[in-house]
Amino acid sequence: MIQFLLRRLLLTIPVLLGLTALVFVIARLLPGDPVALAAGPNATAADIAAYAREFGMDRPLWVQYLSYLGGLLRGDFGVSIFTRRPVIEDLAAYLPATLELVVAAMTLAMLVGIPAGLWAAAQRDRWPDYLSRVVALGAISMPRFFLGLVLQLVFAMAMGWLPLGGRFPITEDLPLRVTGFLTLDALIAGDGHAFKVACQHLLMPALAMSLSPLATLMRMMRASTLEVLQQDYVLTERALGLPQRLILLKYVARNAVSSTLTVTGLYFGWLLGGTVLVETIFDWPGLGLYATKAVVTQDFMPIIGVTLVIGTLFVAANLVIDLLYGVINPKVRQP
Amino acid sequence: MRPNHPTEVSRRQVLGAAGASLASLVMPSQAFAQQGGRRVLVIAATQDIPNFDPHIATGYSASFLLRNVYDSLVRVEGNPPKPVPSLGSSWTATPDGRSYTFKLNTLAKFQNGKAVTADDVVYSFKRAIRLNKGNAWMIQGVVGPDSVTAVDASTVRFNLLKPFAAFLQVLPWIWVVSKSDVEANAGADDGQAYLRTQVAGSGAFKVRRAEAGNLYEIERVADSWHKGGGNLTGVIWRIVRETASQRLLMQRGEAHIAVDLTSEDMDALKDKPGVVRVIEPEYRTFSIKLNTRNGPMADLDLRKAVSYATNYKGILDAAGYADLMIGPLPSGILGHNPQLAAYRTDMAKAKEHLAKSKYPNGGIKLTFVYVTGLEQQRRFGLVMLDSLKQLNIELDIKPMIWPDMVAACASPQTFPDLFPVYQTANYGDPDNIAFAAYHSSRNGNWQNAVYANPEVDALIERGRTEADEGKRVAIYRDMQQKVMADAPDIFGVLEKRKLALRDNVKGFSFVPVASNAIECFGLSLS
Amino acid sequence: MTAALSARREAWRRAVYRFGRSGLSVTGLVLVLLLLFLSVFGPWLAPYPEHITGSISTAARFGAPSAKHWFGTNEMGQDVLSLVLGGARVSVLAGLAVVLLGAAVGTVVGAVAGYAGGWTDELLMRLSDLKLTIPGLFLAMAVAAALGPGIVNMVIAIALSWWPGYARLVRGEVMAKKEELFVTAARAVGAGPGRIVFRHILPNVMTPVIVKMSLDMGFAILTVASLGFIGIGVKPPMPEWGLLLSVARSYMPDFWWTAIFPGLAIFLAVFGFNLLGDGLRDVFDPRSKR
Repeated sequence: MIQFLLRRLLLTIPVLLGLTALVFVIARLLPGDPVALAAGPNATAADIAAYAREFGMDRPLWVQYLSYLGGLLRGDFGVSIFTRRPVIEDLAAYLPATLELVVAAMTLAMLVGIPAGLWAAAQRDRWPDYLSRVVALGAISMPRFFLGLVLQLVFAMAMGWLPLGGRFPITEDLPLRVTGFLTLDALIAGDGHAFKVACQHLLMPALAMSLSPLATLMRMMRASTLEVLQQDYVLTERALGLPQRLILLKYVARNAVSSTLTVTGLYFGWLLGGTVLVETIFDWPGLGLYATKAVVTQDFMPIIGVTLVIGTLFVAANLVIDLLYGVINPKVRQP
Repeated sequence: MRPNHPTEVSRRQVLGAAGASLASLVMPSQAFAQQGGRRVLVIAATQDIPNFDPHIATGYSASFLLRNVYDSLVRVEGNPPKPVPSLGSSWTATPDGRSYTFKLNTLAKFQNGKAVTADDVVYSFKRAIRLNKGNAWMIQGVVGPDSVTAVDASTVRFNLLKPFAAFLQVLPWIWVVSKSDVEANAGADDGQAYLRTQVAGSGAFKVRRAEAGNLYEIERVADSWHKGGGNLTGVIWRIVRETASQRLLMQRGEAHIAVDLTSEDMDALKDKPGVVRVIEPEYRTFSIKLNTRNGPMADLDLRKAVSYATNYKGILDAAGYADLMIGPLPSGILGHNPQLAAYRTDMAKAKEHLAKSKYPNGGIKLTFVYVTGLEQQRRFGLVMLDSLKQLNIELDIKPMIWPDMVAACASPQTFPDLFPVYQTANYGDPDNIAFAAYHSSRNGNWQNAVYANPEVDALIERGRTEADEGKRVAIYRDMQQKVMADAPDIFGVLEKRKLALRDNVKGFSFVPVASNAIECFGLSLS
Repeated sequence: MTAALSARREAWRRAVYRFGRSGLSVTGLVLVLLLLFLSVFGPWLAPYPEHITGSISTAARFGAPSAKHWFGTNEMGQDVLSLVLGGARVSVLAGLAVVLLGAAVGTVVGAVAGYAGGWTDELLMRLSDLKLTIPGLFLAMAVAAALGPGIVNMVIAIALSWWPGYARLVRGEVMAKKEELFVTAARAVGAGPGRIVFRHILPNVMTPVIVKMSLDMGFAILTVASLGFIGIGVKPPMPEWGLLLSVARSYMPDFWWTAIFPGLAIFLAVFGFNLLGDGLRDVFDPRSKR
C-alpha cells in the first residue's frame, strides 16, 4: 500500500513540473505585451523598461522560470500585472468558492443519482427504466449555462423563492472563516441561520452543475446493480436464505462507492474547468471568473497560478480516487 | 408477523426529513432587513475597485470610494455643476487667472486624528504630479511641482504655469492625503503599495471591509470633521456583473441604488413600486473615431460618405434613452453650438461623396473593433455594418480586449478604421473633451489616436487659457465648425445617465458630472 | 470471399434492425438529420436571411413571438428564428470540424504510440496525460484567447483538448490488433510499419472511433456554444447559439424569447446527437451492457 502511494506520488512530481514548464512557456509566448499595456498609454519607453524590471521580465526565460519555481516553494505565485495584487491572495479568495460549488454539485449528484440508478435497475425494462434513460441523456445534453438561466428565471425572478446570485446576503456578516466553505464554516460556528442562507445561495448553481454527473452516476449505478443481481454469488447467498435487502446493500453499496469514485474522477476536471459558465450567471465569486478574466487579459501570473492549482487538484483528486479504489478493491493494488 | 424492519422506518424518516429541509430552503427570501440600528445603503455596480490610491486609480468605482473616504480642496455640486468649499473654506483668484489662494478649513482633520494642513495639500499635489497617473492629466501643464506652496499652516497658494479656465472644476479630483501617514509607509514606490489597500484620508467614511471582485463596505467615521449629513451608518458597493441582476435587486429592495442600468432595464423598471428612475442628460459622448491618417478612411470624401450613410435612427433606437450628438461637444456644455449642421442620414449625399472619393463603387473592407462584452459598442458596430452595406462596403467587426485596443492606438498604422469611444467629461468645461479628444498632443492615446489639425489645436489652446467667457464661446464655436468639416468621427449619441433608486433613499440630487460615483455623505435611508 | 462479404452484409443488416427497434435511437437520428438539413439549407429557409449576415431593423426591436416573427425579434430587430437557423450551420460545422480534427490528430498519435511501443509510446501518452490535467474548457479558452477571435481559431483550440481521448482509444485498439495474424502475415510479405498501420490495422479499429465521434459530436457542439457564451472565439454578426444566449441574458425575464429559443436549439442539437451516439454504441459495441 505504501509502495503504491509512494510510486504514484513520485510520478506526480514530474507531471506537475512538466505542467508548470509547459504553461510558463506558453504564457510567455502569447502574443501581446502585457507589460506595455499595464504601464499605461502614457508610459514612455523608460517607464515600460522600469515596469519590466519590476516584474523581472527583462531576464532570460529560463531564469524567470527558475525564479518562479523558487517563488512557488515559498508560496509566492507571483503578482498579477494588472491588479498588482499577489496571485496567492486571489487564489485564496476564489478557490474555496469554486470548490464549494464543485463539492456541492457532486453531493447532489450522489444524493439523487444513486437512488435513481437503483430504482431504474429495479424497474428494469419497464417504462420508468426507459424514461430514466431519456432523462439521463437529456440531462447530459443540457447546457449548464442554459439550465442555470432557466432555474434563475423560474425560482429567483418569477417565484422569488431563492436569491438571484452571490454566496451570501451582503448586509450580513460572514461566519468566521475556517475552511472557506461558507456552509461548513457556518456549521462549525453553530450558526443555523447562516447555514440555511448559504445553502439557499448554493442550491441553484450546484443544481445546474450537478446534472451531468448525476445522469452518468445514475446510469452507472443501474448498469452495475444489474450486473450484481445476476452474479452467481448473489444467487448463492439468496439460496442460503439471506434477505434480498442485505445482499443488495452489501454489494450495491460497494458498487455505489466505486461508481461514485469513477464519476468523480471523470467529472472533477470537467466541473472545475466549467464552473465559469455557472459562476457568470449566478455572480459566484469563484476561480472560473477569475481565470477567464486572466485569460482574456493575458495576465500571465494568474493564468499560470490557476492552471497549476487546477492541475494539482486534478492530480491529487485522481491520486485519492486511485487509493480509494485500492481500498475497496484489493485486486487493483498489484502494480 | 414480521417485525418492523428498522430500515423501513428510517427510510420514511429520511424522506420526511429531506422533504422538510428542501421546503425550508425554498421559503421566500426575507424582505431586505437591516440588522440592529445600522442603516446601510447598498449600491449595485459592475465595476471593481482594485486600487485605493487617490493619485493612481481611475474609473467611476474608484471615484466613488475616493470621494467618500478622501477630501479635496473643493467639491462639485448642482446642475449645472459648480465648485463648493470642502477642505478649502474660501479662495481668491487673481484676475489673470494665474494665481489662486485657498484658505483651509481649520476644523478639517484626517481619520488618524491629525489636522489637515497646507503641507498635506502641497505634498498631495506634488505626489500626484510625480506619479503622473490617475487624474494627473487634468492639471498637466497647468500645475507644476513648484506651483503649489504652503503660505502658512492653513493657506495654500497655486501659481499656475498657464491660466486654466477650468481650474476650480478639476480640483475635486485631486485628493488630499495625510503626508505623515504616506511618508511613514512610503517604501520604495512612493507609498503606492501602502495606499493601494490603505486609506490616509479625511473623508466622512472609512473602509470597513474590502472583498475584491465582490463588495466594498465603508462606514461613517465617528468623530469626523464633516458635520451633519444624512443618517447612513455605512455604504456597500456591491459588484453585480449583470445589469439585469442589478435591476432585479432594485425591484426586490436588496439594493438601494443601481448605477449601470441599460435602457431596457429602465423600461422594465418603469412602473415598479418603490423604484425611482433618474434619467438625465450628461456630458458623455459616444462616437466612432475614424483613422484619418492611414487606410481608406484617410480620404475625406469617404469619411463624409460614411457620415451621411450612417443610420442615425438605428443608433438612437439601439441606445434607448439618449440624444443624437450635434457635433463634437456634448450638448448643453458651455460653448456648444446647437445650430451646427450635423451629419444626418442622407443616402444621396453619401453616394455623392463616395463618387468623389478614391472608392467610387465601394468594394472595400473596413475594420471595426470594440471592447468585448460592451453591448452598446457591439450594437453600434452592427448599425455601421448595416449602413455600410448600402455603400457596398464590408465591415469586419472584431471584439478585442481594452488593453489591446489601447495598444493599437499607438500609431496610425496599427489603428483600425473605426474605433468607438466613450468620452466622459469629468468636469463641466468644454476644454475637457475638446482637449482630450481633438488636440494632437493626445495622438497615440485612445482618446484621440490619430486626428491632428494645427488650426484646431490652436483654437483649443486659446480656449483653455482665455478668461473671458464670451470670447471662449466664440473660440469653441469656431473649433466645432472646423472639426465638423474634417469629419474625423462618426458622431453618435449622448447617452443619458440612467440611475435607479429606492424611494426610501433621501437627499440625492443629480449632478451631471460623475453621477455614478455616488457621494454618500448627504444621503439618508428612511 | 463471397462468404465473408455476405457475412458482413448480414451483420450490417442485423445492426440496422437492432438500431431501428430502439425508439430513442431513431428519434436521435431524426433530430440529427433535421439538424444537418437545417445546417445546409437554413439560410434559404429563414424568413429574414439578411438578418443572419448582420442587417438590422431597429424599429421592430424586442417584438414578442408573433405571426410575422415566430420566435420574436431581438434588441436590433433581427428575427430570432432566422438567427437560430443560421446558427445551426455554425454549430454543426464547427462541431464537425472539432471532432474530425481531434479524431484525425488523436488517431495518428494513438496509432503511432500503439504500434511503436516503447519510449515513443510512453512519451506520447505522457503528453496526452499532461493535456488531460488541464480541464478542456479552460485550455480551449486560453488557446482561443491567445489566437484571437474567429471560428477557425476556436475550432483549433477545442480540438487541441479533444485529441487525447482518441489517442488513448486508438492506441488500445492498435496494441490489441498488433499481435493478430493478419499483421504478422503482412509483415512477412514485407510491408513497412506505415503501410501496416494505415492500410491494415486502422480500417479495423475505425468502428469504435466512429462511434466515439458520434458520441462526441454533441459535446463538441456544446463546447462551441460554451465558448461562444463566454465570448471567446466568435465575432458579430455570426449568429452562434452560445453567443446569442449570452447577449440575451440581460433581457430576461421580460424578453425571454431572445434566450429561450437559442438555448433550446443547443439542447435539442446536443440531445439528438447523444441519442444517436448512444444508439450506435449499443449496436456496434457489444461490450457495453444495456
